[in-house]
Amino acid sequence: MAEDMFKQFREHSVAEFFKKNRQMLGFSGKVRSLTMIVHEFTTNSLDACEEAGILPELYVKIEELDGKKDHYRMTIKDNGPGIPKSHIGKALGQMLAGTKFHRYIQQRGQQGIGAAACTMFSYVTTGQSTKAVTSYSGKSITADISIDFKRNKPLITVLDESPAEQTGLTVTSEFKDVRYERGNYGVYEYLRRTALANPHCMITLVEPNNEKTVFPRSVERNPQKPFEIQPHPLGISAHDLLEFAKHNKENKRISSFLQNTFSRVSAGKVSELREMAPELNFDKRPDRLTWDEAEILVKAFSKVKWISPSTDSLVPIGKEQIEASFSNIFNPELLVVAERKPKVYRGGIPFMVEVGIAYGGGVTAAQKKGEVMRFANKVPLLFDTGGCAITETIKDMDWKRYNIRNFDEEPIVVLINLVSVHVPYTSAGKQAISHEEDVMMEIKNALMEASRGIQRYISGKKKEHEIATKRKVVGRYIKQLALDLSRLTGEDEAAVEKRLKKLIEERYSRGEGDADENN
Amino acid sequence: MLMKTTNTKKKLEEMGKGMVAQLKKGDGPTFETTLRTRSNTFYDESAGCLRTGDKKEVRKFLSVAQARTFMQTVAIAAKTKQFLAEDLHTSIRGLFYQLKFTLGEDIDEDLFTEQSESNALIEDLEVALKVKREDLHLTTDRKGFVAGPMKIRDKFGGEETTIDLAKQGRSGWSIPSDVDNGMDITSLDADYVLVVEKDALWQRLNEDKFWKKENCLLVTPKGQSTRGTRRLLRKLADNKLPVYCLMDCDAWGWYIYWTIKTGSMNLAYLGRNFAVPEAKFIGVTMSDIKEFPFLDKLTIKAKDVDVKRAEEMMGYPWINRHKDWVKELKLVIKTKKKLEQDALQGQRLTFVGEYIKRKIDNKEWLS
Repeated sequence: MAEDMFKQFREHSVAEFFKKNRQMLGFSGKVRSLTMIVHEFTTNSLDACEEAGILPELYVKIEELDGKKDHYRMTIKDNGPGIPKSHIGKALGQMLAGTKFHRYIQQRGQQGIGAAACTMFSYVTTGQSTKAVTSYSGKSITADISIDFKRNKPLITVLDESPAEQTGLTVTSEFKDVRYERGNYGVYEYLRRTALANPHCMITLVEPNNEKTVFPRSVERNPQKPFEIQPHPLGISAHDLLEFAKHNKENKRISSFLQNTFSRVSAGKVSELREMAPELNFDKRPDRLTWDEAEILVKAFSKVKWISPSTDSLVPIGKEQIEASFSNIFNPELLVVAERKPKVYRGGIPFMVEVGIAYGGGVTAAQKKGEVMRFANKVPLLFDTGGCAITETIKDMDWKRYNIRNFDEEPIVVLINLVSVHVPYTSAGKQAISHEEDVMMEIKNALMEASRGIQRYISGKKKEHEIATKRKVVGRYIKQLALDLSRLTGEDEAAVEKRLKKLIEERYSRGEGDADENN
Repeated sequence: MLMKTTNTKKKLEEMGKGMVAQLKKGDGPTFETTLRTRSNTFYDESAGCLRTGDKKEVRKFLSVAQARTFMQTVAIAAKTKQFLAEDLHTSIRGLFYQLKFTLGEDIDEDLFTEQSESNALIEDLEVALKVKREDLHLTTDRKGFVAGPMKIRDKFGGEETTIDLAKQGRSGWSIPSDVDNGMDITSLDADYVLVVEKDALWQRLNEDKFWKKENCLLVTPKGQSTRGTRRLLRKLADNKLPVYCLMDCDAWGWYIYWTIKTGSMNLAYLGRNFAVPEAKFIGVTMSDIKEFPFLDKLTIKAKDVDVKRAEEMMGYPWINRHKDWVKELKLVIKTKKKLEQDALQGQRLTFVGEYIKRKIDNKEWLS
């Protein structure tokens, strides 16, 4: 019986799994899928450019293929460092391969799924391989890449090799089951927001109708490079711990492994951990660590008093950059950016929140009302709005306190960027921030700080409007009053009128406040 | 004590000059007026009348809430100054029409749109200047009548006439709204003044030549007294004439009497000029039934308002200090009956005269 049942049993590769469950990577819905593809390549390009110290230039072209419904060709070209021939296959054709997995550094991508997932998506929907042109070290290599799903291995065919002067990567793929639309979830909006949060890059988009849009660069230098830090014991799960232990090569004992892998773990702290977990053998080889032992260690971590991790590895967009971007895109009447110090969530993971609020002016002209732009590590989050901690925090704000009567009806754009070495996404689709208490609290504080700036401005504006109204209301009676005072006293009517006018100009002027009080 | 035309004109000018002076100093124009609320009205025991207290209100032009009414008040001041200068009179409605015009082509607003607006501001101006509207040459409708041994010189419309109040036949002399300006008493031979609430009773007594027989002035306010009637009574009292009042024994009658005697809230700012504290209430009262048993059958059931009013009156310090009044009011509250002055004719038409004579001769009155 059992033998019969297990005839059907197969081993599945990661690639096969994702082939069947592509929605888990965010490839669900036709418009969203296309945006997700652009997203994967864009984040890779920006990360690579910044790491190589190149000012990013990105070119995205989407063509509708003749007559065929929901069938597109996408070309994405960057001026990054390119990918060496030896790695191009893995980079674009193997899931969970990449430079990012388990590096504690603020980066846009985290798991190393993206690019290969696009190759997979293209192959699954069109049967076509992906064409890549990579230029580095003075040469340019053109290759065809597809995936051996069974083995999660790339299949690569080099078509051409030629000398090249500039570096960069160009990827061309065909996709079906996707659709191009301008709208809140489309490629256009994604790139517009990317440009907003990344003022150092220049992005060109050519849409299927051949319309070309250039999002220009407004800051002429790359942001400071984030650097890699060791993970802090707090914020590590038993699973993480086992992963680190498995990849560990240098350390022969758990005690030295802990000291060399995690930040703030000194010999003294290891002694404390020994006391907390007397049942655990700290001299054991790390790669022999069991799940139960990992759980004991994580529990012990939580009992020891730790120094917070260093937070200087985080690189926000920056106040000036947000201001430059907002001015560039909206030219708003008022612009407030809240600059906050880095904080730590789960006790061990550094993060930072930036909030920019643009109000009135160009925002009004663009008919934007109550728009929320979410970003994580400067990457726009367009989807899964409902389940996101940012959205919820904004919804819970008492906007009336800040003179915003109805958030959804006011000419206001709110930018929120969450920066962290490990952004707490709700899922692998990376479109929503999970409800981490520390993170939500900090988002709230940052929002409130920025909103206070708005409040001051709006109340000042209201007051100014009130004063102008008063000036008008009282001013309209000047002529008649002057005439009657002249009739009563024999004084010159014009002289009295002049005095009354002067008085009202003075008393009901900007900043004078309420003239009623100080007759 | 009361302002004559020239003084009123001067007051209006001074009001305007004060505002211009404020302007020259760089201040917003204002004027001060006395607060006309119940809380700022009190009974002045020594003067025997209602008066206003010390609470003042400042009206400001530099105020969104007040700018329009301020401008309107000054417009009324300027307009009435013109009336005084031209020696012309009009009603408060006439004034409203004089001031009902647009503020200008570019301003979609009229100086006044409703008469109720100007009426309230006229009162404001009266109080601020401590004058009465008649001083501003604003007239009110006439209502009261007089007959008796008195002559009046009336300077009006550029002419001067002497009026003999003993020669007004069946109709009597109609009391004008202003008895202060352009009007003098040239001869007065009466021994007292009799005020009867109703015109019907006045006509009855006039037919009986009661005023001739008694050598008195026979006055009827025809219900509540006009300002002119009250001023005339004050002037007569100033001429040392006793003032006797014959009213219904009910809420309305009492109210008419006490307005004559202590003045009204509205005109409290003019105090004794509109009060006759010397006035006496000779009837009718519920006690009359004892003296004149035929009245017993002529009483009417008191209405709730009459009983309530009687209870209220017992709470007023200027009434409950008079024990005779308290006794009468208690009787009304107890019996729940009231008595009209017309009932005095129930037995005999000419009985009214006898009743009055007896009351005055025997000093049978309430304070």
